[in-house]
Amino acid sequence: MSSSLILRAEAIDKSYPGVHALDHVDFDLYEGEVHVLLGENGAGKSTFMKILSGSLPKDSGRISLRDQEVEIASPMHARQLGIGMVYQELSVIPSLSVAENIFLGRLPKRKPFGTVDWSEATSQAKRILDDLDVDIDPGERVGNLGVGEQQLTEIAKALSMKAQILLFDEPSSALSDEERERLFSIMKGLQEKGVAIIYVSHRLAEVPRVGQRVTVLRDGAKIDTLPVDQADEATLIRMMVGRELGEQFPKEEVERGKELLRVKGLTVKGVLNDLSLSLHEGEILGISGLLGAGRTDFARALFGIDPIDSGEVFLDGRKVEISSPSEAIELGLGYLTEDRKDGLVPRLPIPANITLASLKKMCQLGFLQHDEERMSAKKYVEELNIHTPRLSQRIEFLSGGNQQKVALAKWLCSQAKILIFDEPTRGIDVGAKVEVFRLMNDLAKEGVGMIMISSEMPEVLAMADRILVMADGSFVAEYAAGQVSQEDLMRDAVAR
Amino acid sequence: MAENPSGSSVSGLGRVKTWVATPGLRVRLGIRAVLVFAVVLFVWYVATAPRFFSVTNVTNVGARTAPGIIVAVAQTMVIISAGIDLSVGAILAFSGSLTSVAYCYWGVPVWPAMLLGLAAGAFLGFINGLIITKGRIPDFIATLGMMGTARGVALILTRGLPVPSHLTAVTLKAYLPEEIIWMGSGDILGFPAGALIGLLVVVAGWVILKHTGFGRAVFAVGGNREAARVSGINVDRTKVMVYTLSGLLSAIAGLVLVGRMNSANALMADPANLESISAVVIGGTNLFGGEGGVIGSLVGALIMGILGNVLNLHNMQDFAQRVVMGLLIIGVVLFDQLRRRYSA
Repeated sequence: MSSSLILRAEAIDKSYPGVHALDHVDFDLYEGEVHVLLGENGAGKSTFMKILSGSLPKDSGRISLRDQEVEIASPMHARQLGIGMVYQELSVIPSLSVAENIFLGRLPKRKPFGTVDWSEATSQAKRILDDLDVDIDPGERVGNLGVGEQQLTEIAKALSMKAQILLFDEPSSALSDEERERLFSIMKGLQEKGVAIIYVSHRLAEVPRVGQRVTVLRDGAKIDTLPVDQADEATLIRMMVGRELGEQFPKEEVERGKELLRVKGLTVKGVLNDLSLSLHEGEILGISGLLGAGRTDFARALFGIDPIDSGEVFLDGRKVEISSPSEAIELGLGYLTEDRKDGLVPRLPIPANITLASLKKMCQLGFLQHDEERMSAKKYVEELNIHTPRLSQRIEFLSGGNQQKVALAKWLCSQAKILIFDEPTRGIDVGAKVEVFRLMNDLAKEGVGMIMISSEMPEVLAMADRILVMADGSFVAEYAAGQVSQEDLMRDAVAR
Repeated sequence: MAENPSGSSVSGLGRVKTWVATPGLRVRLGIRAVLVFAVVLFVWYVATAPRFFSVTNVTNVGARTAPGIIVAVAQTMVIISAGIDLSVGAILAFSGSLTSVAYCYWGVPVWPAMLLGLAAGAFLGFINGLIITKGRIPDFIATLGMMGTARGVALILTRGLPVPSHLTAVTLKAYLPEEIIWMGSGDILGFPAGALIGLLVVVAGWVILKHTGFGRAVFAVGGNREAARVSGINVDRTKVMVYTLSGLLSAIAGLVLVGRMNSANALMADPANLESISAVVIGGTNLFGGEGGVIGSLVGALIMGILGNVLNLHNMQDFAQRVVMGLLIIGVVLFDQLRRRYSA
């Protein structure tokens, strides 16, 4: 590490009521370095990033940039200091163009009336995008771009402000494999230009690919900083959870029972073509495929959210019509949405969210039975190990992994016999992932049939009993567990 | 609520040090100081108002605020469901006018006339709900249209005149029946009947929102429409019911108001829309939905009602009163924002 130190944070401390979010954390960053920040949900990564980007004040500690102590007062101030942030949830404005987003609030002006100099804006945007080596039209509406390109727009925005330090908060969580590759090569390019990057991620496999050093946080404290070549996955997991985790995918074999669900020729014109499948008791059916292959569309159509053009659905051998989620729930289906925000009401407390899909059961003559509600909620909070200071906590104050567990508890509470999991482990840490997998095992033992949609091929390979590969709205291949490799799945997914 | 993160066991000196060191705490204490000051000022102003505590004045305030309270309950439900109802005032006037016209002009007996007014109010609310859900028109626009329409129909029904009035008194019934007048001006053991109806509506609204499955659905729809739908809640039906309820409550408020004024006219309760929204906002309900309650709105409506009365007693000019009311809304919401920001 011959290059010079660009950022040093010493003994950064931050407390919230009841939580010591950061406990005297030290951190440094060199020019042209990618420093990965790892940790479970609630370990303090986001708090640390927020302090560096000026959106949270620290309680104590020092931050110096190039040996000069600074007090980062606001996000605006952070940007002036050359610190740019690329958020996990994209903060671009979909209705504006790429160039407008890049220069938001700082569009180049034309004299003498201060009107916007559009040609200048476009050409400057073009230059930045060219520098990144990406082919995006500066005039395009951002809403028309894919997630990956929207993210590149954000990166371009940060760079346009002459950022020397880029903070990436889980940038790859919403990206397809292809988009992720592109992000990595762009990061490499930025590194060569001397930009330093702090990269927060949940994906252990990415660590050696993107970074030079990795720092692990646990419960607000820094565990250690290691060069990536000394940090294999087992070591990192141990550092993150503070114990041996055992297996990452604790799959248990379960005797499969009678057929629960049969889908025949489900079609949504232009989206889903003639999809058929069957699902048995105690079975986990994986659906693999690339982003945009139609996996979520299938889940939504099956669950009655989007209308279907043709096709038949049989439950326990009986033909059923599902034209709304309430009918699907009535019939014993549950759907853990791809984005957990689509399944939770953030401003409502935990019990209200857990019983959301079983409101009727919680009511007598239309009146809510609060005691019963609290009791079932309490049961699931304990069973699923949901960490919360109190039962009546609002969902918005829980960490991602705990939110996901609440979303899951909702379907356990509705006693769904058929569960559709859409990216069940997205954005949650390894510890929570294992808990989700264990829960899937338990459900399988109880005879619940599960459809598991996932972009994480290792987890589909490990957890599913059968795997369907989806491409372009069709099922293109089917495999039994153990008879297929990651390469096979990839090949089928891109075959068309 | 842990408002003091540094812990209450800290010594006095330690606390002073924290106070100096953390701007958040300073602002929080500042907010509390200003709030205490505002409450003291309010109490002093009320206490020094001539005749405020006379029995007539208190009952008068109760009866006067009743329609506002009822409409605020309606608006609270609509706003929690992430909607807004700009037609509450118009439906109030329409229903009150319809009942009066039915009784005075059409010779309908009093109870059927009242029922007709209530049913018509609920029906207009129902139409609001249908337009919003099935027609997929924003709540703001749909109820804005209903506002004009309902007022217009009320004007047609009443021919633009008060009903009953001295112009119509010669040939038709000159007075409203005492049942209606009782709702606005009567009392039970000295307690104004209108205020009693208002309180009943508040209690009913509280029970509905906090203790029924429907109420929970209202919060869910307002808090996250998509999550509510995926969880099997019938979003459209919930919204239609909320607007129907809003129409019905507006109609009840209409009868109370007509009873107090001894006559209906199509242009009455003109500021009811904005006043109800103000009461809801002062009461702490989130304008974006999913959060809030009727008790807050009751307090909001009472603050506005009492302040209006006290300003009158202090002989403040009506024009200046508007300024005070406007500043009150901004001030309350501003303080609420600051409080939320620094208690996070």
